[in-house]
Amino acid sequence: MKGLQGKLLDVDLTLGKTKDLTIPEQNFRKYLGGRGLGARLLFDLLPPRTDPFSPENPLIFLTGPLTGSMVTGSSKFVVVTKSPLTHGWCDSYSSGRISVELKKAGYDGLVIRGKSNHPCYLRIADDGIEIREADWIWGKDSHSTERMLKDIDRNHSAGVSSIGPAGENLCKFACINSDLYRQAGRGGLGAVMGSKRLKAIVVKGTQEIDLHDRKKLIELNRENYQRALKSRVAQARMKYGTPLTLNITHAGGILPTKNFQFSTWDKALEKIDSVGVYKSVKSHKSCLSCFVHCSLVTEVSEGKYKGITLEGPEYETLGMFGSNQLIDDLPSIMQANLLCDQLGMDTVDTGNVIGFMMECFERGLISPNQTEGLEIRFGDPEASLAAIEMIAYRKGVGDILAEGVRTAANYVGNESDRFAMHVKGMGFPAYEPRGSFGTGLSYAVSPRGACHRRAWPPAIEILGGTPPYTVERKAEMIKAMYDENCVLHSLLVCDMPAKFIPMSLDVYSEYFHSVTGESISKNDFLTIAGRIETLIRMFNLREGFTRKDDTLPYRTLFEPLPDGPGKGQSVGEENLNRMIDDYYACRGWDSLGIPTPSTLQTYELSNEELHP
Amino acid sequence: MNLTINALGSEIVLKQEISLEPASSTLKDVLRALQDRYGTTLGRFVKDDLTPTEGSVILVNGRNIESLERFETRIHDGDELTFTVLVAGG
Repeated sequence: MKGLQGKLLDVDLTLGKTKDLTIPEQNFRKYLGGRGLGARLLFDLLPPRTDPFSPENPLIFLTGPLTGSMVTGSSKFVVVTKSPLTHGWCDSYSSGRISVELKKAGYDGLVIRGKSNHPCYLRIADDGIEIREADWIWGKDSHSTERMLKDIDRNHSAGVSSIGPAGENLCKFACINSDLYRQAGRGGLGAVMGSKRLKAIVVKGTQEIDLHDRKKLIELNRENYQRALKSRVAQARMKYGTPLTLNITHAGGILPTKNFQFSTWDKALEKIDSVGVYKSVKSHKSCLSCFVHCSLVTEVSEGKYKGITLEGPEYETLGMFGSNQLIDDLPSIMQANLLCDQLGMDTVDTGNVIGFMMECFERGLISPNQTEGLEIRFGDPEASLAAIEMIAYRKGVGDILAEGVRTAANYVGNESDRFAMHVKGMGFPAYEPRGSFGTGLSYAVSPRGACHRRAWPPAIEILGGTPPYTVERKAEMIKAMYDENCVLHSLLVCDMPAKFIPMSLDVYSEYFHSVTGESISKNDFLTIAGRIETLIRMFNLREGFTRKDDTLPYRTLFEPLPDGPGKGQSVGEENLNRMIDDYYACRGWDSLGIPTPSTLQTYELSNEELHP
Repeated sequence: MNLTINALGSEIVLKQEISLEPASSTLKDVLRALQDRYGTTLGRFVKDDLTPTEGSVILVNGRNIESLERFETRIHDGDELTFTVLVAGG
């Protein structure tokens, strides 16, 4: 199959050795690449019930069949592992030059196993593959690390992925940073990398990638670029980036506010929304291999943080560090964003756990005596910034917060778990499910915990015509969204152009053929997605998850929303159970969420895989 | 009738307070009154026949009119109308 290299680099950090791992072409046909191939590999390579920080837990970097081609949005990669935050399946996506460089170096990905006895980094280039000593960069932030590695190699076009101090200190929502401002953010992949004492990966490749029909591919890009130019949705997105989403979530009553107590926040408007962020924009930028420049490069022009510049902040950061903490000072949020990037932490879970602590302080459940004198209160950006550093370095209460919001609630006690906003240990991202019941279902059944990347229900429940506070047909809606994104995340292209140009799976079928020479129809893609999602379900079942883990926090289920369009709404246990029943049924899983024998047969998955 | 108007597209207008005297309190009559006053701006979101332009959505108090009574939705004093392009993800 063209477009692929057919092999991964298998790295054993314990032995300090590497070897090639051939992937049968049949596995690309069954799982495509990216998330799909990651599911197959993690299932096969990880011994059941292994601790996430065990040397045996593989950290798997994967590209997809379209990586390194000119398909728009194709410079993405996924990192797959067992999450230290949830103890279940974890896939997290990032843009980054490393994806294309890996393919050009002759590999579709990396499997990193074992644990080095000293800090190290992996270097892959034409002159060889080396595991190098990294004492000199251990402790450095991810931005310094990337710059120093490029400097020492005199190669500024290399792809670099690294961890910051949070990953070294095993913060359970540490991320992996690439190209300075891009993160594989969720689930604590950076901590798994830190547990292996692997500081960074540097890749520079020079091989040509063999494409089936380059001319057709260019033609498809031309067509879709013209469509993007004509699309008002794409044009608005390219101008305002994801901050435009905040105006929609505020209007629709799903903006997380004050630790998900409220769903709207007027003070956000013109300060930390599309209008506020746009005032700080210096330039627009696209990822490598993408004609959609939806990234905003911003700079603080005055005040205490004058001069700081970054790509972002994205909507998630504005929601979790802004409205959710009642902070309307954009420069402070930009500083928080930059700190999280440099220290190597997911802004979603960091913002979530800080918002949780703010509510604990407000309720008098925790005192400054327990936090080394720091009072973490709503609306206090200085306290929020101080908390970020405490978490990254596990100082004082930061040591508890670095375990994630579920563990923080156990520490605080006093029924604080009722407002610890997470699923399976992973913190809620910036959408309030009481104003969008489909979001509630999506969070509950997501195998990696509360996730906004598998489905985006506001497209249907706020912007579409489907009522947001009902349960009918929500399961089918979530399955359809999950499956489409599963295909995109396995081909490993950014799902954003697909949504806002838009480009259907039929378009990606054409792209797939132009790159690989293989024909896979939209329906075939969706069958593959069903197989992948079922295999991931089987992985989590094997790791001890049950239906009871597919749930939502007390606040979401039982506390009525006090404001916004959804005022008076809560999801309710009965509603959630009905949506989950429906979801399992349309997946071909039984009432406990276990795939039925006929479903396994449909997807050509072995029954033994469920009960090894 | 006093209304709050938001427009989210290539240009953004937030929380604009306006007073209108539509022929009735239905959305269709409110839209007609708005068209008379803000024809060009509104034209990006609403066609002459009052249906949304491609990629546009009308929200009344945060709810898509398709999940309400569409153009027969009753508009009340103090309501908020949001005209927006579709947005995906964040």
